[in-house]
Amino acid sequence: MNHFDEMACLLYLEGQLDPARSRELAAHVADCAPCRDLLHALQHETILLSSALTEDNESMPARLASAQVRSLPSWVWTLAFGAFAAGAYWFWTDGIGPWFDQLSNAGFGGTDVFSMIVFTGAFWEGWSDMIDAMQIGALILVAIVVIGWIRRRLRRSVAIAVVISALLFALALPPQAGAAEVRRGRSILVPVGEVVHNDLIVSGPSVRIEGTVEGDVIAFTRNLTVTGHVTGDVIAFSEEALIDGNVEGNVRVFSRDVNLQGAVGKNVTAFGRSVDTISKSNVGGGMIVLAGEADLDGKIQRDLLGMVGRTDLDGLIGGQAWIRGGSLTVASSAEIRGPAKFEGPQQPVVEAGAKLASPIQTEITQERQRTRRSTARVAIRAIFGYGGALVVGILLLVIFPGFFRATLRETDSIGLPIGVGALALITGAFLLVLGILLLIVGIGAGVAGVMAYAPILYVAQVFVGTWLGNKIMGQPSAVTSAVVGRMAVGLLILRVAGLIPFLGGLVWLLVLLWGTGAVLLGFYRTSRAESAPNAPLPA
Amino acid sequence: MDARRHPEGMSPAEQAVAHERIALAKAGNAEAWGELYRQYAPAIFRFCRRTMPTREDAEDATMDIFVKVRQKLSQYDASRPFSAWLYTVAANHCWDLLRRRKLRQDLETGEVEKMPLEHPDPGQLEQLIERRTGQEMRRALDKLPARSRMALVLRYYAEMSYDDIATTLGVRRTFVGVVLLRARHQLREILEGQGGAKLAAGGAA
Repeated sequence: MNHFDEMACLLYLEGQLDPARSRELAAHVADCAPCRDLLHALQHETILLSSALTEDNESMPARLASAQVRSLPSWVWTLAFGAFAAGAYWFWTDGIGPWFDQLSNAGFGGTDVFSMIVFTGAFWEGWSDMIDAMQIGALILVAIVVIGWIRRRLRRSVAIAVVISALLFALALPPQAGAAEVRRGRSILVPVGEVVHNDLIVSGPSVRIEGTVEGDVIAFTRNLTVTGHVTGDVIAFSEEALIDGNVEGNVRVFSRDVNLQGAVGKNVTAFGRSVDTISKSNVGGGMIVLAGEADLDGKIQRDLLGMVGRTDLDGLIGGQAWIRGGSLTVASSAEIRGPAKFEGPQQPVVEAGAKLASPIQTEITQERQRTRRSTARVAIRAIFGYGGALVVGILLLVIFPGFFRATLRETDSIGLPIGVGALALITGAFLLVLGILLLIVGIGAGVAGVMAYAPILYVAQVFVGTWLGNKIMGQPSAVTSAVVGRMAVGLLILRVAGLIPFLGGLVWLLVLLWGTGAVLLGFYRTSRAESAPNAPLPA
Repeated sequence: MDARRHPEGMSPAEQAVAHERIALAKAGNAEAWGELYRQYAPAIFRFCRRTMPTREDAEDATMDIFVKVRQKLSQYDASRPFSAWLYTVAANHCWDLLRRRKLRQDLETGEVEKMPLEHPDPGQLEQLIERRTGQEMRRALDKLPARSRMALVLRYYAEMSYDDIATTLGVRRTFVGVVLLRARHQLREILEGQGGAKLAAGGAA
């Protein structure tokens, strides 16, 4: 008689043989010991396989313990980050500039408190420390991104090892090996005749570029002097900046005093208390000035855009001019080849002999107009603030779901968090005063402690908003997208309520106290609950 | 049937609860969905752990599978066991991932048909698998080519039917048995190698 092969035996065991053949095999096995043994061995193997596969040898990772976080549609991220980036940009360009302007208009001179805090004294000495901190922060951020990216491909331990070794490698590298040359020191000088064949990043109290830099110059310094030749851009954060050489690219300077005496191939952006250009200076492109006062004697080949407290115009503007600010004086030697527009509280003074393509179109800014403008600004601010808060909320929810839930639970008990928040605010205000005092006395580090309070204030609205959303849209959910939806609705309501005059202020105060208290309590509970596994979901 | 793998293989009362939960989740109830997730996530995670090369892959796959399940929940036909449907979604997802990676070399189907199936000696086979621990087996399973491992997991962990396995792996139904048997042979070879190494190590000691 013929034996059945292994295939048939397996199919028989798995109930996959047709009935006739199945009967045949059963009959054969009854008489045939080898086939019976094979059947048993196969069955044994099946049992072994099945138990090896189903054995509960590994617990489920914590991040899978509750509902998932991946359900967030990608457009939410795109939108949120877009709003965030736009908000940051707006804040930088529109928020800070006019503020400077206002400060200067209000008569704060070179020795005013603000300049002292930002540009001089103790804080300024700390610049290089700040740069270190920024670099470390950036490195950590990069590391997190890299870990996230690698983790999908490698085991965790390998990924961490890779990232750490990459970091160590990066730290161990001499700075010169980077894409740009980095120099640090008390006094940095690129002497006449020296040619730097690279971008140059410098930080130190004094920077002088007398030689040639074939690339960009990025400077963090107190005194920047460029008398040499820079083929790229000059980007500087400084107290005093003097550009007396030849810059082929753009000049972007954030400085208390900006002095332009040389030639710039492209555009100039100057941001400071005072901006001066002398008559021999030449800007190949346009110029943007955000300053307390501007004395423009040089040539600007294209447009001038200025938000300046007091403007003296003596030179040439090849294109059009648009200036907003306190006052404008156009000297007899001045020439504007394009249309000119001035917005300010008083008529510009145009001396006889000034060459204008057309009379200066003047708009006297009045109270009514100001309100309208500021209403628009408030609306924009509210929209970006909303986007920012939403981003912060989503990030918290995704990155720290445990903390998020704990804080949300705390928000629910209204009285306690408000009390804690009020206490924290008073403490915070005390610290703020202390910090400012310390700062003025001269210890810049004092400000850091106060700074830590700011993010909590921002986060506060997230939790109150989510709480509000939960109240309006029904029971809280464990699903991320639903939480985000409730957060979005709640935050929107808070924003709108916050816009109401007077009442809005009270709303914000309440949100601030309540949310801050909840966040602090949430921190407290999360740190305490660390040892307790799987905190229950909110009911 | 293991209740952990197939959670609705339980008492009728529990089954009714499970059915209601699925219906509620289908209707969009977040609470029911959360329950469903907690009920099935461990089984699906283990499934992914058995089929995917790394733990991180398994975690990611588990999340993605439940996102898919949630989206597709309306398509679930209640006359079928829920776990069977769930495993089909999971299997398709993991198999897609594996296929998209550079595991193509061991995915060729051609050789399946002409593989010589030696008739093993039952005594030797028994000896080979005797006293094997689950861990030894899993280690050997990890060394299998992706498709062989997948086939064994689909059959002996997810307890999928030959039809479903055929659909998932994209082979003809008649070859499912061949794929499974071939996988077992490969597994035996690996175990043999391990046993040999073990013996050698024992001899040296």
